[in-house]
Amino acid sequence: MSFLHIENLSKTYTVDDSTFVGVDNISLSINRGEFLSIVGHSGSGKTTLVSLIGGILKPTAGRVLLEGVDICTLDDDKLSEYRAQRIGFMFQFASLLPILTARENVLLPGIFSPDTKTDNAKVARDLLEMVGIGEKLDSYPSQLSGGQQRRVAIARALLNNPDIILADEPTGDLDEDTEAEIMHLFEEINKKKGVTIILITHNLELAGKAQKKLRMTKGQLVGI
Amino acid sequence: MAKISFFSVAFKNLKRKTFRTGVLVFAIALLVSLLIFAISFTVSVASSLKKSSQRLGADLVVVPVGARGFAEEFLLESKNTSFYMPFSIIEKVKKIEGIDTMTHHTYLSSISGLCCDIVPTRIVAFNPATDFIINPWLQKSLGRPLQLGEAIAGAGTSENLGLGLLDIEATIFDNRFKIVGELEKTGTGLDHALFMTEENLNNIIESGKSPLKKGEISIIFTKLKKGFDPDFVGRVLEGEIPEVDVVARSGMGEKFLNTLADINKIFLLTTVLASVLTTFLVWAIFSAIANERSKEIGIMRALGAKESHIVKLYLIEVLVLGLLGSIIGVLAGTYLSALLAGSFSLLKNISAGLTVGQQAAIALVGLFIGTAICVAGAMMPINRIKKMEPLLVIKEE
Repeated sequence: MSFLHIENLSKTYTVDDSTFVGVDNISLSINRGEFLSIVGHSGSGKTTLVSLIGGILKPTAGRVLLEGVDICTLDDDKLSEYRAQRIGFMFQFASLLPILTARENVLLPGIFSPDTKTDNAKVARDLLEMVGIGEKLDSYPSQLSGGQQRRVAIARALLNNPDIILADEPTGDLDEDTEAEIMHLFEEINKKKGVTIILITHNLELAGKAQKKLRMTKGQLVGI
Repeated sequence: MAKISFFSVAFKNLKRKTFRTGVLVFAIALLVSLLIFAISFTVSVASSLKKSSQRLGADLVVVPVGARGFAEEFLLESKNTSFYMPFSIIEKVKKIEGIDTMTHHTYLSSISGLCCDIVPTRIVAFNPATDFIINPWLQKSLGRPLQLGEAIAGAGTSENLGLGLLDIEATIFDNRFKIVGELEKTGTGLDHALFMTEENLNNIIESGKSPLKKGEISIIFTKLKKGFDPDFVGRVLEGEIPEVDVVARSGMGEKFLNTLADINKIFLLTTVLASVLTTFLVWAIFSAIANERSKEIGIMRALGAKESHIVKLYLIEVLVLGLLGSIIGVLAGTYLSALLAGSFSLLKNISAGLTVGQQAAIALVGLFIGTAICVAGAMMPINRIKKMEPLLVIKEE
């Protein structure tokens, strides 16, 4: 059985009396340590798909199996634990808490995780060093550039040593150089830490750097 | 800070909008100070009345018919009043079934003028042979009985008489008295009187300068035999002796208690209105916070926060606000009560005061209610916050 198996997954939204299809009967298998990119137009269902994989959205039908466990059947607490321990999220906007410093933002997922043995303070410092902003530990998001904020978000996604990083257009509003640097970080994390990465992007060039490239149209996967 | 916790995140959240936090703390502090003042006032008056009637130690108080109000004014409010009945009433009272022991007092007001060289003062003459009210106080303060030509001041009188200097001499109705000391504070209206034995009073009467006539007394205090109901014996007394009115211990200060009940209604209404307003304010501010921080909450949920984590985070904020506001309110309310005590004749007249235990209990009630109102106001928005769909609030961005 594959590491992550998606089976006949569908999600429909009902707004007023209209129904919209976000994800339409998708099946997909992803191996541990794989770097997968998904491209597609706005509204094609990419964000819905990663949200279903990340357990922040419940499917209308189908299953998401991580190492054989269907996360769609988990209750809210178990699903939160699944996100805290196995998933690292990166969003398409600056998602740092403005009241916390870079180091505190990285430490944030730690207070939601039952693992109290790890010295998170040291891990956070090492992670920020790794993403190249070790000197900005005590800077607030407002004191960081867009690229630096993304690096903090990457470090935060890695704090709990997740199996999968779900990155939803993480370089959307960055300049080309910074975009390349962030992509390079993802490649390194994938290679050195063996973390499975599912990257959503509009940018075909960036998507091309992944081991596997998928395209979504109208909620369906095409061009595997 | 190298580590973070729910507490540190909650504190940082409170610090991010200090004005808003300040407004909430101020509102809660206002409510709690009002509550503390209202409770302090009520408890102070009620317990002072209870304490006063207990200190007097009598089951029944017998006064001339129509003088019940004056007696209460004298015993509880320290008002200068005079009321008299014939000494022969004592014999009639003695015959009533259930009466165990009795003693009587005669009250007289000194006057300004050539006959008296002290400020107008209430004079209480008692019979040392039968007395069970003044004697124990005297024993405690002086350690011996009063002699002829001696008087002792109540705790509230000494200042008026200039008794910072003890052993002064005073002329009262042409009789020289040595004021040998002052009694401890008793919390009754008698604190504002000057005490002497009946023997001294007889000399005053003989001087012819006082309005009092020989053979007149003001009040009879009685203790009942075990098993006799004060109300029942009181009714019998009033039936058998039409010249007297009787006040049972439980009925002392009824006038005050009726006034207090009315004041309580006003306090209750004001406090309930203030509570509703504060709850509404907390609800409105936390609803605004819920909207303002919805994206952050969505992010935290995506990072693995459970619903209970979100509740915990906001509950800490609410508790800190509630406790801080309540502590300030308790301090302000206590200070206000002490400050305004002198402005309320009801409090001033009955020597009302709270024990440390009572003050602590009232402070705890204030802390609890202030914090509970804060939590109650915030619960609905917090419940809404925790139920937010992470993706929907993140996508709203």
